[in-house]
Amino acid sequence: MKQLVTLNINGEQHELAISPDATLLTVLREDLGLLGTKRGCDTSACGCCTIHIDGKAVYACVVYAMSVQGGEITTIEGLGENGKLDPLQDAFIEAGAVQCGYCTCGMIMSAKQLLNEEPNPDEEQIRHAIAGNLCRCTGYAKIVDAIKMAADNGLKGQSS
Amino acid sequence: MSAANIIGKSVLRPDAHDKVTGGRGYPVNFSLPGMLHGKILRSPYAHARIISIDTSEAEKLPGVKGILTHKEVPQKRFSPVFFCPTGAKSLVRDMVALSDRVRYAGQPVAAVAATTEAIAEKALELIDVDYEELPTVFDPEEAMQEGAPQLHEDAPDNVAKNPAFEFGDVEKGFAEADHIFEGVYQTQRVHTCYMEPRVCVVDCDKQGHFTLHSSMQHIFGLREKLAYALDIAESRVTVVKPPYIGGGFGGKLDIGYIEILAAILSENIGRPVRMEQTRYEDFITTARHPIKVYLKTGVKKDGTITAREARSILDTGAHATHGAEVIVVHGLFGVTFPYKCENKKWEGFTVYTNNMIGGGFRGYGCPQGCFAVESQIDEICEELDLDPIEFRKKNAHQKGDPHPFNPAWSLNSYGYEEAMDKGAERIGWSDRKPAGSGEGTKKRGIGIGTQGIWVSGCMGFPDIYEHTGALVKLNVDGTADLASGTVDLGSGQITMQTQIAAAELGIAPENVRLSYADTDTVPFDAPTHASRATYSSGLAVKAAAADAKRKLLAIAGDIMEASPDDLEVVDGEVRIKGSPDSAMPIGQVVQVAESPFIVDTGEGYEPSSPPQHKGTIIGASSLAPPENPSPATALFVEVEVDTETGEVKVLRCVYAHDLGKVINPNAAEGQVEGGIQQGIGYALMENLVFDEDTGACLSSDFLDYKMPTAVEMPREIESIFIETNEPSGPFGAKSLSEQCVTVPAAAIGAAVYNAIGVRIKELPITPEKVLRALGKL
Repeated sequence: MKQLVTLNINGEQHELAISPDATLLTVLREDLGLLGTKRGCDTSACGCCTIHIDGKAVYACVVYAMSVQGGEITTIEGLGENGKLDPLQDAFIEAGAVQCGYCTCGMIMSAKQLLNEEPNPDEEQIRHAIAGNLCRCTGYAKIVDAIKMAADNGLKGQSS
Repeated sequence: MSAANIIGKSVLRPDAHDKVTGGRGYPVNFSLPGMLHGKILRSPYAHARIISIDTSEAEKLPGVKGILTHKEVPQKRFSPVFFCPTGAKSLVRDMVALSDRVRYAGQPVAAVAATTEAIAEKALELIDVDYEELPTVFDPEEAMQEGAPQLHEDAPDNVAKNPAFEFGDVEKGFAEADHIFEGVYQTQRVHTCYMEPRVCVVDCDKQGHFTLHSSMQHIFGLREKLAYALDIAESRVTVVKPPYIGGGFGGKLDIGYIEILAAILSENIGRPVRMEQTRYEDFITTARHPIKVYLKTGVKKDGTITAREARSILDTGAHATHGAEVIVVHGLFGVTFPYKCENKKWEGFTVYTNNMIGGGFRGYGCPQGCFAVESQIDEICEELDLDPIEFRKKNAHQKGDPHPFNPAWSLNSYGYEEAMDKGAERIGWSDRKPAGSGEGTKKRGIGIGTQGIWVSGCMGFPDIYEHTGALVKLNVDGTADLASGTVDLGSGQITMQTQIAAAELGIAPENVRLSYADTDTVPFDAPTHASRATYSSGLAVKAAAADAKRKLLAIAGDIMEASPDDLEVVDGEVRIKGSPDSAMPIGQVVQVAESPFIVDTGEGYEPSSPPQHKGTIIGASSLAPPENPSPATALFVEVEVDTETGEVKVLRCVYAHDLGKVINPNAAEGQVEGGIQQGIGYALMENLVFDEDTGACLSSDFLDYKMPTAVEMPREIESIFIETNEPSGPFGAKSLSEQCVTVPAAAIGAAVYNAIGVRIKELPITPEKVLRALGKL
């Protein structure tokens, strides 16, 4: 039996009838068409479905959608402002951090939490922040570069 | 833009913006109205005969629209491998879509299509299968013994394929040797770990025509194999090329059960059917084959190799599939070709077991061979006190030598020695310490692994497709549309092709758009595999762009009253060579070609330009590359081995590779860094593990199957690209993508030896194996 829920996603309220056992990943992809959040394993191990709930990076595949009513949910589609990309998205393009790109959105969401909490992370902090996001194409080298680049650009932006 | 401003530049990926904002183009996102969802019931037994299947309860479940068992599918035997013709002699056709005999745990036995995935899954639980268990065998050498369970009637001793090569006189070669080295080198089963699962949507229309959207690496192979398995004409199948896929690495180079079963369900029901594999299903669908190599090498005191003899046992699992081809590539490129030696002998066995079937994976048999050959060279050098680089140089092929694969070709560009020299300098090879000489519990070591001969595509291989084509169409706004069958796995084929087309046309790369393609509309393209895309498809794109440019200049010549030979295209403008003032934008020429023949001038009707100027300016190519130039690679690694815990950390990698010419430095580095991650995983941690009694996969998710995360990766990976300018390649390019995956295991094995003085000949080099080798377990 489906139940009515209200979810706050990317600043918009969505009223939906969902199954109580539906994961947030399923609801995002199948009910709302927010396809940027990817299913890579469905067992909370690959990180492709990383989103934010109240600013914290979470795997959407292991969260019941019912359980996050009232929380502020942010997906990759919610990044960037006024039609501009988030500095992390720009940096991922610029640094060549995207190959197949299937991990990219989740990777950016994990990095986003890091930069929110630590605007000037060192390499070890960056690597640990994305340790829950698997990538098979890049060896993570240019992803680490991109996050560093976004942090540097953010700091420059603040000082100017 | 001229070629010099485009080739060798880190042009940004055209697909990157889409991917960082969500990436709608992945096949996993594709859907059609009215689409059903398919699920597969899989056998819990590794070897069994199906006595009966009862689907009556499942059929009653509301929402279930169709069910297939072995009784409802064609029993035509096929090989799923994309890159060989279906009837190729070298393939073994030993699979059917659903059989009454299962040979590995997880083999499909039934399929359901329903209105939702949840209903399809529920229906699987209601299918009642009665199995008769059969005896199993999981070890290939046991499978070859008399009395072992026979998996396929037409494969005595469970040997699916038994290729052998012999050059010179091996007995004489060993007699001439001062020393003979023998060893056994064992590799494990690993998964490519593409991040996007295998997925397809198949739609069979009312006329019986199938349209497929799929995550595979080859649209034409999928068309051919589906038609073959369904026993229908190929023209009844259209495969649409996805804008991009979420990784492949060789793991999407064969038709899966899902495409065939979804197609039959769609035809039966009259609605599109989607099937997406779970990660567990992906883990048991494809893997790099474990190969055990018995290797014997004779050398003179000075390090000259006089003879080499090897025997390779490949565990192909329940079906031959890629095992029929991998064994040959392994024997030739992995074991036989890399070093010069007059007397060589090799025999390979592709052996059936009740393990999961193998598949393609970057390197395709070469990593297993490289680990054996390079590890043994390290042992020889240690024993005879020879420098490993000098030893390799002494036995290596040289620039200008005949290509060992085909003596009609020469190694026209060949930077093997340069790769070793440059890499050695960067890693500090001359400061390398004697094996096991470090102080303390954490010991460091440096090692080298190389691969002197490899491919740029499949030219010269019997039975393997190697031709490709492209279409280039010029638009009135001065841009170009490029269509080809090449699937971008993530490794940058879109970027490379747009750069090459732009360089040939004389326009900016951002003005070339890679457009829609399907098997109906573009020339045949061999798969994105075998390190071939830049060399082979790059040549085809260049030729198609040159064809379009020729037509452009013919019309422009008429308009500008100049011979086409005197024209050039620079920065999107046609110019008379040497006079920039004569410039006419490409778009203006295209406008002339595309405008109506007769125009209304307001004062009457007049021809706009002569008839020979009319028509879309379009260039086409379909060609086979002239050769198969060899790249050459040397990887140097520094490791730290914790002798208390057995943990091996890779601290630093220096990778030097002769790729002819770099098309895009950033993309090339990305290939190397990702390849090294896969190689480190292979060397140190990755392993598909199976229950010894039941054959069930125990490492079927990323919690149990460990691959390197950002934390385990070395902090320094340096790429050195050697540009030898391959004469037959597009703008001098040859291949890059597979050797960075091939060499790490050998280099890391050698570095571990250098650190602790103990050699591990069985991958992966886990802490347990290190501690056991040190006598601590």
